[in-house]
Amino acid sequence: MFSGSSVNYPRYDGVMKPVDFKGGLRAGMRAALGLPTVVLLGSLTGYGALTHDTGFGAGLAVLSTILVWGLPGQIVMSEMYAAGADVLAIAVAVGMANMRFFPMAVSLMPTLAGRNVLVRFAQAQLMSATSWAYVMRASAPETPEARLGYHTGFTCVCVSVAATATLIGYLGAAGLPKPLGLALLFINACFLLLLLLDTRGRGAAVAVITGVVAGIPINMYFPDTGLIITGLVGGTAGFLADGTSRKQAS
Amino acid sequence: MSVFGPESAALVVAAAIAATAFWRGLGVFLAQRLDTKGAVFRWFSFASFAVLAGLLARLLILPSGELATVGLEVRLGAAVIGVAAFYLSRRNLLIGVASGTLSFALAAGALG
Repeated sequence: MFSGSSVNYPRYDGVMKPVDFKGGLRAGMRAALGLPTVVLLGSLTGYGALTHDTGFGAGLAVLSTILVWGLPGQIVMSEMYAAGADVLAIAVAVGMANMRFFPMAVSLMPTLAGRNVLVRFAQAQLMSATSWAYVMRASAPETPEARLGYHTGFTCVCVSVAATATLIGYLGAAGLPKPLGLALLFINACFLLLLLLDTRGRGAAVAVITGVVAGIPINMYFPDTGLIITGLVGGTAGFLADGTSRKQAS
Repeated sequence: MSVFGPESAALVVAAAIAATAFWRGLGVFLAQRLDTKGAVFRWFSFASFAVLAGLLARLLILPSGELATVGLEVRLGAAVIGVAAFYLSRRNLLIGVASGTLSFALAAGALG
């Protein structure tokens, strides 16, 4: 799935995959302009409304979307700020809510072209759960160059759409009916659920199922460090399941 | 009150940016030493899936804030409808997300 060494680039659903940076860039932008744009417009409009109600300025709300770029952490941030928590407590809570970016960056970066640290920091800063899941899909490009282009195009479209949606939500906060506002918060969970269902391979499936099933009690009892523990448990389960399937195959 | 809001808000956003960028940077740092064939790299791929699944469990089953005001049966019911629509439409993400979110909005409107 990740190796770019094969000479024959496989077709996916009858479409030839891009093999160079420019082709990947175009494919990534196209992919982002579909459903991800719709979901981002929905969920970041909800976030914009939330920041308006908690007393952030419009510029700060947009800046937080572009530079924090991790919605669960952003929501934790604005809710804790509204509750009057101090800066250090907020930083720790946001860090815990957004720690997923650590394993995600580790597993994404080696599949992208170039080892330049600055390029990789930029890609990691642009990465989101959606961009990570899209690049991991079977339909994503396979060569490292095309993957770099794909992730760049995909994320740049996503950040632009999300920044715009935050501003729209901020300015229109008062006019939003309550059920619609709630649905905008739900859309993100529904999208993540379907993206995880769409993953291939036994190891990933075991990791996802373990993550959900074990994640419920773990996060109930350890609300702060729950996601880290879930990652350790589910990642190891997926790794072991993948290892046994490899042995059986050979 | 300016376009950025009170000073305390700016400080909080700066802290949130730093706290998130820390994990991204740590990931890049470790990735410099890995290749895609190794066991460590594979473990981290599965750990990412598990963390995202854990995040999903939190969002759907243990939400905080506004989402918690909607009953568990509405959240799970809407999720099941979204999954059913996804598979009935031969894995069409748009149809799945639209069905799940729409049923959530309708149920939240009718029950709230």
